Parts: sequence; C-alpha cells; structure tokens
Amino acid sequence: MLNEDTLKHVMATMLNVDVSAIGPDASMDTIANWDSLRHMNLVLALEEEFKVQIPDEDAGNITSYKLIKLVLDDLLAQHRG
Amino acid sequence: MNAAGAGSVPAANLAVLARPDSTMMQLTQAITALEKDEQARSVKVGVSSSATVDLLGTYLRKHGLLAGTRVEIVPGNYDDPIGDVALFERAGVKQMVLLPFFDTLQPAFEAQLGTLPAEAVDAREAELRLRYRLVFEQARAMDAIYLGTFHRMGGPSDAGADDPVAQALARFNGALREEAAPFANIRVIDSEDIVAAVGRNAAFDARFYFRSKAPYSGAYMNELARRIAAAARGFGAHFYKVLVLDCDNTLWGGVIGEDLIGGIKLGPHDYPGNIFWRVQHELAGLERQGVVLCLCTKNNPADVDDVLRAHPDMVLRDERIVLKKINWDDKVSNLRAIAAELNVGLDSIVFLDDSAFECEAVRQQLPMVKTIQVPAALPDYPRVVQELKQLFLAGGIAADSRGKTGQYKQRAGAEQLKAQFNTQEAYLASLELKVELSRNAGASIGRISELSQKSNQFNLTTTRYSIADVEQMMGGDSHAVYSLTVADKFGPAGLTGVAVMRYDGAVAHVDNFLMSCRVIGRGVETVIWGRIAADAVARGCTELRAAFVPSAKNAQVADFYDRLGLPLLAESAEGVRRYAIAAADFAAPPHSWIEITYAQ
Repeated sequence: MLNEDTLKHVMATMLNVDVSAIGPDASMDTIANWDSLRHMNLVLALEEEFKVQIPDEDAGNITSYKLIKLVLDDLLAQHRG
Repeated sequence: MNAAGAGSVPAANLAVLARPDSTMMQLTQAITALEKDEQARSVKVGVSSSATVDLLGTYLRKHGLLAGTRVEIVPGNYDDPIGDVALFERAGVKQMVLLPFFDTLQPAFEAQLGTLPAEAVDAREAELRLRYRLVFEQARAMDAIYLGTFHRMGGPSDAGADDPVAQALARFNGALREEAAPFANIRVIDSEDIVAAVGRNAAFDARFYFRSKAPYSGAYMNELARRIAAAARGFGAHFYKVLVLDCDNTLWGGVIGEDLIGGIKLGPHDYPGNIFWRVQHELAGLERQGVVLCLCTKNNPADVDDVLRAHPDMVLRDERIVLKKINWDDKVSNLRAIAAELNVGLDSIVFLDDSAFECEAVRQQLPMVKTIQVPAALPDYPRVVQELKQLFLAGGIAADSRGKTGQYKQRAGAEQLKAQFNTQEAYLASLELKVELSRNAGASIGRISELSQKSNQFNLTTTRYSIADVEQMMGGDSHAVYSLTVADKFGPAGLTGVAVMRYDGAVAHVDNFLMSCRVIGRGVETVIWGRIAADAVARGCTELRAAFVPSAKNAQVADFYDRLGLPLLAESAEGVRRYAIAAADFAAPPHSWIEITYAQ
C-alpha cells in the first residue's frame, strides 16, 4: 500500500512548497513551482523513494497528485505480485 | 569554511552531500538547508547548453557547498550560446558552463551520420566553428568558461569503433578544441571520459531525452559537476602549489630506519614496491608541471638522503625536492616552517602521509592544509594519487608555471650563497640579475592574470585582474600594464611582477603592483619604477600617485612606497595609505647590480 504521507512529503520537497499545498487536487496547473525541470527531479526522487522504475510513457504524463498515486499504486502492486 | 563541528546540523548535511548514495530527496533537502547557512563564498554560474541540463544545477550547487561556496545558477536558453553570453553578462555572471551537444547538432544527428553526404557534414563543421568562435569572442570578459566536448549517446555498432559517428565526433571535437585554443579563459572538460567513467548505460536517461531533450542521468550530472568544481578550484576555495610528502610507507614500503636501504619496498616489478614506484612517477610528473615537492618525515637525515641518492629505483631524487624537513619535530611545526621558507600560505599546501595519527594532528591543528592519507589497502593508492593530482592540475596550469622546482631551488641555492658574501650588494652583483620590463606584453596576458590571482603577500592593493581585464587595459589608452621577467646566473625566474598604471589627465596612478614572492629582496621591485615614471612623464603626466590597501596577507609591503621614496599623503582608519609625488621629484633608487632592458 502506498504511504500517502511519504508521497506528499516527497512532492513538497521536490516542488519546494509546503506539504499543505499537496492536496488530492494538486497538479501542474495548481502549483506554480511545478515546472518541467522540477517534474524531472520529482520523477527521479519518486523512483528512489519508492524503489520503482516509472515507465517511459508514464514519466512525462504523471503531472497531478492523482495520476502519480495511480501509477505508484500500480507499480507497487506489481512489485508484490 | 563552515565553523560548525561534527555532529551539528550543517555537518550532517555536508555528510549527506559527500555520500555517493544519497537520494535526490536527501540532496535537495541538504542543499536547501545549507544554502540558508553562512557560506564562505558565493558565486554565480551560467549554464548554457544545446541539450536540457537543468539537473546539472542541483549538482553544481552540491559540489559548490562541499567546497564552502554557495553556487547560484543562472540558466541559459536552449541552444542559444551567443544569446546566453549576453544574458549572463547582464546577470553579473563571471563563470559559465558551455555544453554543446552532438546528437542535437541536427535532429538525431548520430542516426543521420550514416547517410548524410560529406558536404553536409563539412557544412555543419564550418557552421559549428563560426558559431563557437563567436561565442568565445563574446565571452572574453568571463573569468572562466568550462567547455564540455561532444560525446555520443549510442555505442558504436562497429566492433572496431570507427563508424561514421566516431569519425565525425573526432573531427568535431578537434574543431571545438581548435577554436577554443586561443582563449585563455576556456577550460575544456572531456565529456567522453565522463561517459566512460559513469558507464554508457548509467549516463543517459532516454525517457526525458525524446520528450524534453534532457539526455543525462543524475550520475552523469554529478560527475560533470564534480569535474567542473575541480577545474574551478572549488569555485575559488583553493589554489594548491606545494605537495609535502612523508617518506616511510608513502614513498616506499617499510621504514628506512629499521628495514634499511636494502629492505624497503620500491621497484618496477614486485608487489608492493611497484605501487610506490608507480606513485613516485606520478608525483614526478606533478613536479614537471610546476608543483613544488617537499619532504617532511620523522627520520635521521642521513638515512633518507641515502635513499634519495643511492636507491637504484628511487624516482624522486634530490633535484626534484625543493625543501626537506627530515627531523623528529612534529609535522605541524615542520609544515609551518615549509610555508614560511617558501613564502606561501598554509592553504596552498597539500600533505600526504600514511599515518592516521599524523594526518589527524595536521587536520586538527592546520585545517587549511589539505591532508590526504595513504589508503591502508595499497592497491587503492594509485587512485588516491589520481585524485590528489586533480587538486593541482584540474584547473589547468599556465605554461610559465612549469619548472617551478628549478626556480624555487634557485632561490634556496641563492639563500645559501648569501651567507658567503660580506655585503648584500656584492652578493647581489654576483647573481648577475637581469630584468626585462615589458609594456602591454600581449603574449603574457594569461600569466599576468594568473599572477594577479595568486599573489597575496606582495600585492599592494590586492586588485585581481581577469584575462579580459588585462586585455582591455592593454588595448585602451587610459592604462598600461607593465610586466617584468627576471633571470639570474642560475636561470630564468619567468614573469614575476606586474604593475598596472592608470592615467587620468596629469596624474599617473599605480592601480596595483604585485610580485611573486620568490624574487623579492634583490632590488627588482624598485629598479623598474624609473622607467615607468619616465613613460608617464612622456605622455604628459606631472604627478604620480599610489596606494597601499591592507589585506589579511600583505603586511610585508605596507611600507613599500615609503621605501620607494614617495611621501605619505594620508592614512585612513582602515589602514589605506595614499602617496603622491611630483613626477619631477621622483627618482627610483639606482641598483648597479641589475641589468635592466625594456621591451615595448
């Protein structure tokens, strides 16, 4: 199961915003700091923190909290299965 | 340097930066925290590339902080090096990273090379040369440009590694280096070697390349940033000149006092003597490049001298060693003595010793000395020596710095001769000193700038000049840059002094005067002023002005202008001393023992 607190913490750190800004509706559109550079660093950090490899087709597209959670849930489930 | 001790938060954050396996999260947190703390220096670095390299910023900041420097990144635009130079100058950037990228020279250039007609490749090379020549011209005012060479992303499919990509790569890198060669402010960083060091598979991340033209992994960026920081000498944190070596288990295996000359391990063939022999060759190479080697060892002098003279496989013999401290005093005192005798700061010394005890003592009492311990696992020793070499060589060494040992030895030899003469004057006459004074010597711009950066003790105002500054002053009418080379009967000492004059109507100001400490005390520093004053009079000046601005290190020249015979006009509370004299009243002290010539 994905630890959502950890996810929020990683996102807040990498996007340089307060954890309270990372709600379920957070996305590239709602967070000004979330630009393409920070996005790249965010993907690298997510991979390290959750020990997963985010596939090529997803890496550029996971630009909201919901999408990130979806992809991570999926990857972590595969991990166990 | 960070004042915080071990166990504090800054120390813990620095440890995170130093660990190779820290995650992006940990790095980001540590960097953010450390940049809020006080740092010794702050520097702006512009990053210009034909790929997306934003990730480099994180790692430049990391390696900057490890050297006590807060690095502020000024990003350029994608594939616009000419525009970036203008942008950087407006932002006050003095150091820039320039990373041309091979595969984006044309879309999928590597893939296209197999089918591109020869004329198209020729035309691309011509365009590349023109473009970067222009970039380099416009970036003349930069203190430093760190230029990454081209590398390929895909490995060669030809087992002989001589496919069209390899051929074009060699050619384009040749072109880049050729265009860069005339510019003394460019330091070339070999990108192919970084790919090799990191591993081709680990160096790139294809996911972000096709989407955002961001080809590099964190591992590549980390190594690139590390090499840039080394080439920048920690962004101004250090400028090492002297390597002080222990002997037993550092230059040879074993202890000379116990194992005796036949028992120590040193030679080309057998382990572990072959490791020490190899290391000695590396160190001898450093000496050839201008690094000053000294010995500091607890031994009987006769034992060590015997090895230097008589061991058949000794590489570092007496003539390569400038100073020897072979005694039973503690290393801290000996290091202080070496700094004093060579007239260099302790912060320009690197100390290599096998003993954890000695290393720790030096680290604690002389933290400004860079201390390196010989690794306990001997096969690691050559790698440690490679890293040590980078401390001296990564920043590039101007040609005139080579052969320093000879020059320092001349000085040491001259000190010994001094004792045999009754008068200072007779001694100086015996040296057959020759000084050549040059005005606006364009060929020496690199060395003049380097000397102004390095000289601390004999430096009247501690104004530093970049290569661009010197060029500009030489080219304009309002300044003149005098440089002097000194030779004596023992050999040439090279370019060892610089005087910068600024003319303002009837007044000729000495903007700065600085000398390398190794030729001081022979009258050279005063003999040149007759000519400089005459030049000023010839262009209509009637008054000479000069100033001494105190720094942490230049107390020895506080009264230099008094000694030159200039009347003191005023002294400020900060210790700035201003002098002025009518040009007609000035007479430089004559020195019959110096033969001086002029070159325009």
